[in-house]
Amino acid sequence: MKRSKTMEFGVGLFMVAGILGLVFLGLRVSGLTFSAPSQSFQLEANFANIGSLKPRARVTMAGVTVGRVEAIELDTEWFDARVVLSLDSELEGQLSKDSIASILTAGLLGEQYIGLSVGGDPEMLEDGDTIRDTQSALVLEELIQQFVSNMASN
Amino acid sequence: MQSKFSNSTARITRLGRRGCDLMEALGRAGVFLFQSAVGVPSREGWRLWLHQMHFVGVLSLAIVLVSGLFIGMVLALQGYTILVDFGAEQALGQMVALSLLRELAPVVAALLFAGRAGSALTAEIGLMKATEQLTSMEMIGVDPLRRVVAPRLWAGFVSLPILTVGFSVVGIWGGYLVGVEWLGVFEGSYWSNMQASVTFVDDIGNGMIKSAVFALVVTWIAVFQGYDLVPTSEGISRATTRTVVYSSLAVLGLDFVLTAIMFGGL
Amino acid sequence: MTDAPFIEIEELYFSRGDHEIFRGVNMTIPRGKVTAIMGPSGTGKTTLLKLIGGQLTPESGRILIDGQDVHKLSRKALFTLRKRMGMLFQSGALFSDLDVFENVAFPLRVHTDLPNTMVRDLVLLKLQSVGLRGARHLTPAELSGGMARRVALARAVALDPELILYDEPFVGQDPISMGVLVQLIKRLNQALQLTSVVVSHDIKETLSIADYLYLIADGQVVAHGTPQTLDTNQDPRVSQFIHGEPDGPVPFHYPAEAFYRDILGDSPKAQIG
Repeated sequence: MKRSKTMEFGVGLFMVAGILGLVFLGLRVSGLTFSAPSQSFQLEANFANIGSLKPRARVTMAGVTVGRVEAIELDTEWFDARVVLSLDSELEGQLSKDSIASILTAGLLGEQYIGLSVGGDPEMLEDGDTIRDTQSALVLEELIQQFVSNMASN
Repeated sequence: MQSKFSNSTARITRLGRRGCDLMEALGRAGVFLFQSAVGVPSREGWRLWLHQMHFVGVLSLAIVLVSGLFIGMVLALQGYTILVDFGAEQALGQMVALSLLRELAPVVAALLFAGRAGSALTAEIGLMKATEQLTSMEMIGVDPLRRVVAPRLWAGFVSLPILTVGFSVVGIWGGYLVGVEWLGVFEGSYWSNMQASVTFVDDIGNGMIKSAVFALVVTWIAVFQGYDLVPTSEGISRATTRTVVYSSLAVLGLDFVLTAIMFGGL
Repeated sequence: MTDAPFIEIEELYFSRGDHEIFRGVNMTIPRGKVTAIMGPSGTGKTTLLKLIGGQLTPESGRILIDGQDVHKLSRKALFTLRKRMGMLFQSGALFSDLDVFENVAFPLRVHTDLPNTMVRDLVLLKLQSVGLRGARHLTPAELSGGMARRVALARAVALDPELILYDEPFVGQDPISMGVLVQLIKRLNQALQLTSVVVSHDIKETLSIADYLYLIADGQVVAHGTPQTLDTNQDPRVSQFIHGEPDGPVPFHYPAEAFYRDILGDSPKAQIG
């Protein structure tokens, strides 16, 4: 009887350790936070070229993450990329109409993300609005091409 | 000419019979899985399950943790020498964590589990069959599928994901030991890069799904091989070998399929 | 107690692969008696017990136990029927993860809701009747072959069954434990009013306990009767078996080609070629 008690204890410990391990992986390794999923609102932005921007990429403002890319699709009217951004709801009504969304690259070869910067328009963006002013991704090949043609014309 | 023709006919016949045998075995294994896994466990069933959890889970912990530690350490060492050439050694944590969570922990833990627990399950059930314990249980009016096989099946199914978590945790810690303590990667970037790139649902969740699938397949193969073997000492040794071979192949093959579905954009 | 036979086997056919094991076996096994089924090794005596126990299904023919067709029962009804049977296996087949006491208690625990104290009393009673009450804490690995079989016997009668099937109870026993087993089977049968079926090829011991005998060979019943009538049976197959003659209708040699040909190395292939 005593042996089976220690065995039960061992199995219990084993399972608790498994759950604790999962919690460790969640908190420490994937940086999961238990803050309730913050309310968000959506904005759209059209880019001529999104480079290698992916859904779920970060959206930052002054380097602070304020949201993420919700969806990317081709706008068949203008044949450019329509990107749906999902932003913290505390920014709703705080961003001016002439805010700029630009696709930036983390480091030389890093992942691409969206940087927002505010303008001076007194009117503010609401849920579902579209950001007019956008800067497309920097495509390295185009950059080199420009550089070379500039050299040639000089 | 005549004999050559009949020879090849015989060969085709043999191939066909092999195919039929294989399908029949698969069907048997499927019915077997259904009959043993379905049903409400009794109080006695819980006790048996607990006993098997100890046997297949707790007793496999040591080998899994030690392997996890070494694999994490090796990953950090190899990763560091590659990443440092690009000046990207801060990404070490990310590399160690992602390779462990997505691939190495589920696969290596499943392979170790097949060798440690799977073969033991086959041999144990096989011996019970060879010594007529299963038949006598049936004659007493107790279904051996429920009494002997089901607790083992469920214990294996629950144990392996837990072991996989343990493997990952210890592996990441091993990577930390080598990368941060020994090679001097900045501690903050080890963890923060890891946290920035690892997502709970995609990486940890998918790893766990993989592990659960492997757990089911490995334990299924193990108990079925034990239950279905030829009850002689040679039969037991063959079935034990088959358990390890089949489950290793199944794990590696399924890993490719699952990876393709989860991360390959299929 | 009625006089209707407890087990009736009618026109039983069974084969394994291409090998026909039974070709039309008919038997009636009377209630409350010891019936022995004998035959040379490899005639499928154990298979017959498995057919009676419902673990194998015959190709045709039927087996009635107390009026119920074993192979037409649902799984649940079959398991209920099996509670009324006990079976003693050749190897004893004790559960290796339980000790002697728990082995005997196993059928009681799974089929009854008796309180622990009562289970204990019953188990000790059964162990006492096979003379192994003192061995209750041993594990099956610590028992000798004869003791294991006695424990298995205690387990088989734990639920007070109406029928016990003995599969080769005397094989591989030293004379003392053989005598003990013979005594036990006889005593249990009388004390509990059991119907017993003994499958064996140990003639002397079986003749000493059996009330009725069936002799099977070549997939059929070749003779049946009381021990006395079989002893004087003139059928050469019967007398060869009963008197243990090495050669007779059951040949000493496995079928082979003529000996001188084998020795001279004239392989049949060479002759055909």
